[in-house]
Amino acid sequence: MLYVDTVVAERLVHRPRFIVAMVVVVSLALLTFNLNDTVFAEILRPIIGAPDQAGWFGRLSIAFILSILFMLNIVVIGFLQFKLQLLIVWSELLLLFLFFFYGFELDFDFIRTKFWFLVTQGVFTTLYVSMVSIVLASIVALFGAVAKLSSNGFAYAIASFYTSLFRGVPLLMQVYLIYLGLPQLGYVIDAVPAGILALVLCYGAYMTEIFRGGIQSVSKGQWEASRALGFKFGLTMRRIILPQAIPLIIPSTGNQFIAMLKDSSLVSVIGVWELMFLARTAGSKDFRHMEMLITAALIYWALSIILELIQSRIERHYRTQSH
Amino acid sequence: MKIKNCLLLGLATMSLATSAALAGEDLDRVMEEGVLRVATEADWVPQSFLDDNNEMAGFNVDVAREIARRLGVEVAFVTPAWEVITAGNWNNRWDISVGSMTPTEQRAKVLNFPAVYCFTPAVAVVHADSTVQEIAELNDQRIGAVAASTFELYLQHDLTIDAKGALPFDYQINPGEIRSYPTSSAVYDDLRLGDGVRLDALIDAMPAILAAIENSYPLRIVGDPVFYEPLAIAIDRGDQEFNDELARIVADMRADGTLTTISEQWYGIDYSAAK
Repeated sequence: MLYVDTVVAERLVHRPRFIVAMVVVVSLALLTFNLNDTVFAEILRPIIGAPDQAGWFGRLSIAFILSILFMLNIVVIGFLQFKLQLLIVWSELLLLFLFFFYGFELDFDFIRTKFWFLVTQGVFTTLYVSMVSIVLASIVALFGAVAKLSSNGFAYAIASFYTSLFRGVPLLMQVYLIYLGLPQLGYVIDAVPAGILALVLCYGAYMTEIFRGGIQSVSKGQWEASRALGFKFGLTMRRIILPQAIPLIIPSTGNQFIAMLKDSSLVSVIGVWELMFLARTAGSKDFRHMEMLITAALIYWALSIILELIQSRIERHYRTQSH
Repeated sequence: MKIKNCLLLGLATMSLATSAALAGEDLDRVMEEGVLRVATEADWVPQSFLDDNNEMAGFNVDVAREIARRLGVEVAFVTPAWEVITAGNWNNRWDISVGSMTPTEQRAKVLNFPAVYCFTPAVAVVHADSTVQEIAELNDQRIGAVAASTFELYLQHDLTIDAKGALPFDYQINPGEIRSYPTSSAVYDDLRLGDGVRLDALIDAMPAILAAIENSYPLRIVGDPVFYEPLAIAIDRGDQEFNDELARIVADMRADGTLTTISEQWYGIDYSAAK
């Protein structure tokens, strides 16, 4: 929360004028769609008649009823506690989302037959590739950040060249360059190590900048004080600077982890059987691409949610520690 | 010719050494390891795909299995992207491609084609709702094809097939716009959205089209095949012994009817010889 004050004001969503205005706007928006033939019209069927007879009267009634329901929902939610609001809005949006997929007429039996394979082969490889890459990228980033903050011109030049190059080239191209290019130098690299290397170098470059920002945000006085106490560089870094920098680094690093999980799908182009690769191929025999793509999308989302939860746990840990 | 760089004494001193693959090297390696590593697609019914048990299956897969059986080795499949296979310079990551590859002049610069194992008709396809009846009507339309495929080269009027027994053909289509896709299923999915929604037509191999139509894709073949493409197995350049051994095996498979059997099993049609 940004800032909680004690000023009592009427909620916007409870002002009559706002409610009426919103009902009108939502009605007009819904009016542009012809919903006479949809599931929304079924409750009103006795009044508006068959889909082909309902016409503008049908459209208007449906739009009006739906917008009233919509605003009623918002007004009611406005009265509730924060946690309850969170729960209800999440469930409603999730239902809407699933309803959207339901409209595709998916073959759920097919999904069931392939789901376990997607998890054991695809999720396993995706997690394996991204977890190894995340750990290695963090190490690269730490060294990169220290080098970028160093007064040593050689270290700074290497680190800044590295971040500039690997942030400036598309990750997909890095995957290709490493997989196809390294063998030209005499070192034949397998698909999985090539993918991991590309992810590590690319994300290491982004995270170098994040780490650098975090370290730089610790005030100069901390350095001076630890130097005055006789601390050497390594000890200062470990015991003084990093403990203060890490809480600032965590939110953006969590972002990178989630992005990495999904960018690991790029290694599918070199034939690694991870989740994205299987999503594209598992449905090809029966021409059921939508089923596999949606399943894989939901799996990616579920994995990201887990990472989000872990991230918020860690953030909470540091917040309670610093207060 | 392979170029090998050796890393010597740190980063600064790098010496370049050039060496050709020794004759028989690839064949020896395959026999020694007892595994023939085959590069093919996993996304192309009925040529090569994942079956219900999530194993590789299809026409190309069966041809590859038979070649390995006759070599007396096990078979293993890898599935790199198509352009990685056609780029050549495999560096022993895999030994052979059995992936419906047409032996074009450009590809022959980086790969060897020991033998043609199949001839497939390439056809122009429209959405079932389309009014197009003749190939000439496809001029100035938006036509889709797999990137770096012979179908795309045909649309670009840049296709040369220099295999033995290839039939001559004319460029019958002047597309308004060529749209390239990573896989053939992506082309089909865009055309099935509706006539002219994203594509007006596509060009692809007839067997794949027939399989899609069987799976209720709303597609229709227009006119006669625009060209017949010979499809060859491919290996990295350099090993003539491996090349000759594979040529002999495929010739045997054609002579004793094995290729015909596999083709009829997957397509219901014998594609093993040119019409």
